[in-house]
Amino acid sequence: MTRSNRRDFLQQSLGAMAAVALTPSLAELSPLAGRSVDISVALVGAGRQGRAILAELQKIEGVTIAAICDTDPGRLKKAGRRVQGCRSYATHQELLEKESDVQAVIVATPTHLHRGPALDALAAGKHVYCEAPLASTIEDSKALAAAARKSDRVFACSLLARSNPIYKLARSFFRSGSLRDLVSLRAQDFAKTSWRSSAPDANREKLLNWRLDKSVSLGLPGELGTHQFDAYHWFLGKYPTSVRGSGSVRVHKDGRDVADTALCDLSFADGLRLSWQATLGNSYDGRYEVYSGSMASFKLAWTAGWMFKEADAPTQGWEVYANRQTFHNDQGITLIADATKLAAQGKLEAGVGLPNPPVHYAIADFLTSCSEATDPAAGAEEGHRAAVVGICASQALRSGLEVAIEPELFDLR
Amino acid sequence: MATRFELVLEGRDAVRMRALAEEVFEEIQLCEESWSLFLPGSLLAKVNREAASRPVDLDPLTFELLREALEVARLSGGYFDPTLAPLMERFGFRSEDRTSDAMSWGADAVLLDEEAQTVAFTKSGLALDLGAIAKGRALDLAADILRERGVQNALLHGGTSSVVALGTPPDEEAWRVALTPEDDAPCALLRDQALSVSANRGRTNDSGGHVIDPLRGEPCRVHSTAAVIADSASLADAWATALCAAGERELELPGDLCALRRFDSDAVEARSTSWCALGAPTSSFQSSESPLAL
Repeated sequence: MTRSNRRDFLQQSLGAMAAVALTPSLAELSPLAGRSVDISVALVGAGRQGRAILAELQKIEGVTIAAICDTDPGRLKKAGRRVQGCRSYATHQELLEKESDVQAVIVATPTHLHRGPALDALAAGKHVYCEAPLASTIEDSKALAAAARKSDRVFACSLLARSNPIYKLARSFFRSGSLRDLVSLRAQDFAKTSWRSSAPDANREKLLNWRLDKSVSLGLPGELGTHQFDAYHWFLGKYPTSVRGSGSVRVHKDGRDVADTALCDLSFADGLRLSWQATLGNSYDGRYEVYSGSMASFKLAWTAGWMFKEADAPTQGWEVYANRQTFHNDQGITLIADATKLAAQGKLEAGVGLPNPPVHYAIADFLTSCSEATDPAAGAEEGHRAAVVGICASQALRSGLEVAIEPELFDLR
Repeated sequence: MATRFELVLEGRDAVRMRALAEEVFEEIQLCEESWSLFLPGSLLAKVNREAASRPVDLDPLTFELLREALEVARLSGGYFDPTLAPLMERFGFRSEDRTSDAMSWGADAVLLDEEAQTVAFTKSGLALDLGAIAKGRALDLAADILRERGVQNALLHGGTSSVVALGTPPDEEAWRVALTPEDDAPCALLRDQALSVSANRGRTNDSGGHVIDPLRGEPCRVHSTAAVIADSASLADAWATALCAAGERELELPGDLCALRRFDSDAVEARSTSWCALGAPTSSFQSSESPLAL
C-alpha cells in the first residue's frame, strides 16, 4: 500500500469510526436539495439584504417568487432584473391586496419598518419571515411577537446562527461539554464599508441611509450585533442581564452621528461576560465569535468554524482524521458538517466551509416550516428576546451608561 | 471571477462616490455569487450539476448572459465556447486534479428555452465555464448602475484585462488604456466603450497556453494576444478569447467590433510580432506616437 493510499484508507476507516461523533448530515448543507417546497413567495424590501435573499430563493426548487415590493423605484428595478416573471409593487399593502395566492412574505425592509408589512402579512394569512433585529423599539418587537403568537401561520425571525449547519454542529459539542468551564466570550464584526447608500436624489438620501439616522437606527450593536449576541443566547441557553457600550466615528467622518466603531460588554447573571467589537473602518478577521473554555475554544465565523484544544484536553476519536488549519501558533480543528461521509468520499478538504451563505439556511428552514407545519429555528419569541438585547446594547452605546436588561422586557404576557 | 476590480470616478463629492463605488462592487459580488464556477452554491454550479438531467430555471440576467454566450459561440464558428469546464479541468487550469469523469463539450448541446427561461444540456458530462464572458458582463452591469446614477465619466476594470469606459477623463478626449505592460505598447482610446485583452500566455501548461482551442479540444499552441473594443465588455471578453483560440486560423469579427492581435514568439517572452488590426476600421487604437494605420 502506498503512503497516500494508506492515508486515504486511514481517513476512510477512521471516518467510519467517527460516525456518531459528527451528527449533522450532508443534507443540512443543501437542506432542500432534491425536495420541492412548492410555495409562492413575495419579498418586501429589495435593498441589499432583500436582493441577497432573492438569490437564495432562486436556488431552492419549487419556490415561485411571485412579487417584490420596494418604495424605491431604482431598487425595485434592480431586483426585478434578477427574478423571472415576478410582479413589482411600490407598497406592501398593494402587494397583499393583489397577490392573494402568495403563501409566504419575506420582510427585508429597514428595521424600523418591519412592523407594518409583517403584521399586515400575518393578518392576510401569510407565513412571515422577518429580518433581524425584529424591530427597533421594544414596543414594535412585542407587537410583532404577540401577533405571531396569536397567528396559526409560521413566523420566522432571521437569527442566522440558529439554522447554520456549522453552528448547529458546534452547539452540539458545546452542549455536550467539549469546552468544559467557560472563561471568556468575545466577538467582533469588522468590515470596511461606509454603510451609506448612494441616493439618486436628495429626497431619497435620508430614506435609503436609515442606518445612519440615529432617530431610527440601532447602530452597530443592534443592526449587526443582534445576530452574534443571539448565537451566544442559543449556545448558553440564557440572556445577558446588563450591557455597557461605547463608540465613536473613527473613519467615516462624513457628518454622520451613528458610530462607525463600537464596543459592548454584556454581562450574564453568573458573572460571565461577552466582549464585542465592531467597526466599519477595518476588515481584518471579519466577523466571528469565540467561546473559550478550560478544555478548548471555538471560533465560529459564519461560513467556517474551528475548535482549538488545550494541551490537557481529552482526545476524541474523530479528531484523528479531522482537518486542521494553523493560525499563528495554534492549530484549529475544522468543524465540518458530516465529516464522516466527506472523509469516506475523499472530499474532506472540499467540505471546509459552507457551500451557501448563512441566510440560505435560514430561508430554507423557514420554507421547510411552511410546507411541513413545523416550528422554525428562530421564531418570533426568540426574535423578540434578541431584539431586546440589541436595543439595550444600542441604548448603552449612545448613553455611555450601563443598561440593565430587565427580565420584564422579555415578557410577552 | 476571483479577481481584483477597480473603479475610477470623477467628481468632488467623495462621500457619495464612495457609496456609489460600494454599490457597484456589491453588484459585481452578486454576479460572482451567481456565475462562479468555484462556489458550490452558485447558480452556475447548480446548472452544471442538474442541467443534463432536467431543465434548470434561470434568472433573467443569467439567461441573457447564456444567450449572448451561445450567440458568440455560433458567430465565431465555435472558437468561443462556454462549455469548456471539463477541458479546463482536464488540462489543469481549474484544479490540481487533471482527471475528470465529464469529458464532453460543445455549445450546441446547451438548450435555452425562451418561454420557460430554463437551460438544459442535451448530453451528459457537459459543464459551463463562463470565465471568458461573465467578468465582462459584471462590468457592464456595474456600468449600468453608474449611468443610472448620472455618472458621466468613469473607468472600471476587472483584473486589468476587461475595461469599461464611461465618457472621458477631465479635459481629455478618451480614456487611454495600454494594451500590455511594455513602454511602447499601443493604447486603446475608449469613450463609452469596452475593451478586453486576452493573451494565450501567463498560466501555461506543458501542451500549450491557458486558452483552450475548442475545435481541437486541447490548449491552443499558438501564443497570441488579442485586444477587442466593443460596445459591451461581455462581447469584448468573448471575442478576445475567440481570437486567441483561433490562433492563426481566420476568424471574421462582427461588423461593429475592432481588434488588434499579435502573435507571441513563445510562451514566456513578451516580445513578439507586430500588432495587426482586425475587424471594423477604427481610430480607437493608437501607437505610442500616433494612431495605428488600419
